[in-house]
Amino acid sequence: MLRNLLLTLLTFCIAIGGGAASVWYALDADNGFDALRIGAWTAFPALGTPDASPYAKAAAARDGVLALGHAEGIRFVASEDSSRAPLSRGCTYRVEGNTPPARFWTLFPANPRSFFPLDPKDGLPGKLQSWAVLRQADGSFVVTVGPHPAPGNWLATNGLGAMELALTLYDTPAATSSEIGSIELPRITRTGCDG
Amino acid sequence: MGKLLLSLGLGVVGAGIVHIAILLLLPSLAERGPWQRLAATAGHYRFVAVNGENAPSSPTIRPVDPFFDEAACRFDLRDGVVHIHAPGHVPFWSMSVYDRRGENIYSLTDRTATDGDLDLVIATPAQLIEVKKDIPNDFEKSIFVETDTRKGIALVRSLIPDGSWAPGIDRYMKGLVCQSG
Repeated sequence: MLRNLLLTLLTFCIAIGGGAASVWYALDADNGFDALRIGAWTAFPALGTPDASPYAKAAAARDGVLALGHAEGIRFVASEDSSRAPLSRGCTYRVEGNTPPARFWTLFPANPRSFFPLDPKDGLPGKLQSWAVLRQADGSFVVTVGPHPAPGNWLATNGLGAMELALTLYDTPAATSSEIGSIELPRITRTGCDG
Repeated sequence: MGKLLLSLGLGVVGAGIVHIAILLLLPSLAERGPWQRLAATAGHYRFVAVNGENAPSSPTIRPVDPFFDEAACRFDLRDGVVHIHAPGHVPFWSMSVYDRRGENIYSLTDRTATDGDLDLVIATPAQLIEVKKDIPNDFEKSIFVETDTRKGIALVRSLIPDGSWAPGIDRYMKGLVCQSG
């Protein structure tokens, strides 16, 4: 009798505990369902729309996210450089190339998964938008992202650990176009690391 | 031994069921979803800063971009149509309408709007027919957004190209009006 009771209890523990834990884990893990990968960058065009996967919907509800609408823009996130090594705050990167046509774009290094910008020391540039970017003669741009000041466009990082780069295009046909898979985004190359 | 295996197996099957149940119920039951978070800070028809200088230090809604000021207003179309407008101009604004669960149902930018003015009326199809019979003077230049959702969130985002724009954008965001009827 007692044994049956214990076994029933065990079943319920596994069901409820396992079910809840697996949802929590799945919401924190990278959601590959809706992901659109272009080079090192990933976007979730369906995020915040009725077409999003149940996982993306649940994660948005849990985190209090109101995603950008398609007419507003689209966000690309990179957590790895173009050679698939994870981005680190202690390293220096060259973000080089061009973006699809957009009214403007913004670029900033962020804490992983939250999109809160890194908080560099007072006065150091922690974000960049395209109206203020210095460009090459051919219209492309080079942005140096790293802990040490660099000439040209520089974004400061600080601390240790992982980071992400968030590139958001605003008012762009790329967000609604069906050819979004064939657009070109900047390359991210590691040029050196501290220590 | 057989019983132990059976209960383990049942546990795993149960876990799967619980997993799916939590997943599907989370968006409607979440107590910390966007709607609930906004409800905790302000009532209906009031724009609340969710990103930017006037926003609380622990933001209610996750800020989308450090270059932006954002403000959100909850509405309920059962009280009548919602009119959202703001005087003045800014370098760039965009706006999204979300349903109660936080799904984007409509978005636009200043390029879509008449003269770049933020002036928008959100209504249900039935209300829209009534409004269009005799368009009030206030709605002359408005963009009409038709939606089946009753409760929703209107979120306005405005770009701050650099620090010198901040006071002007701040004034613009404070001038946002979200009114019923």
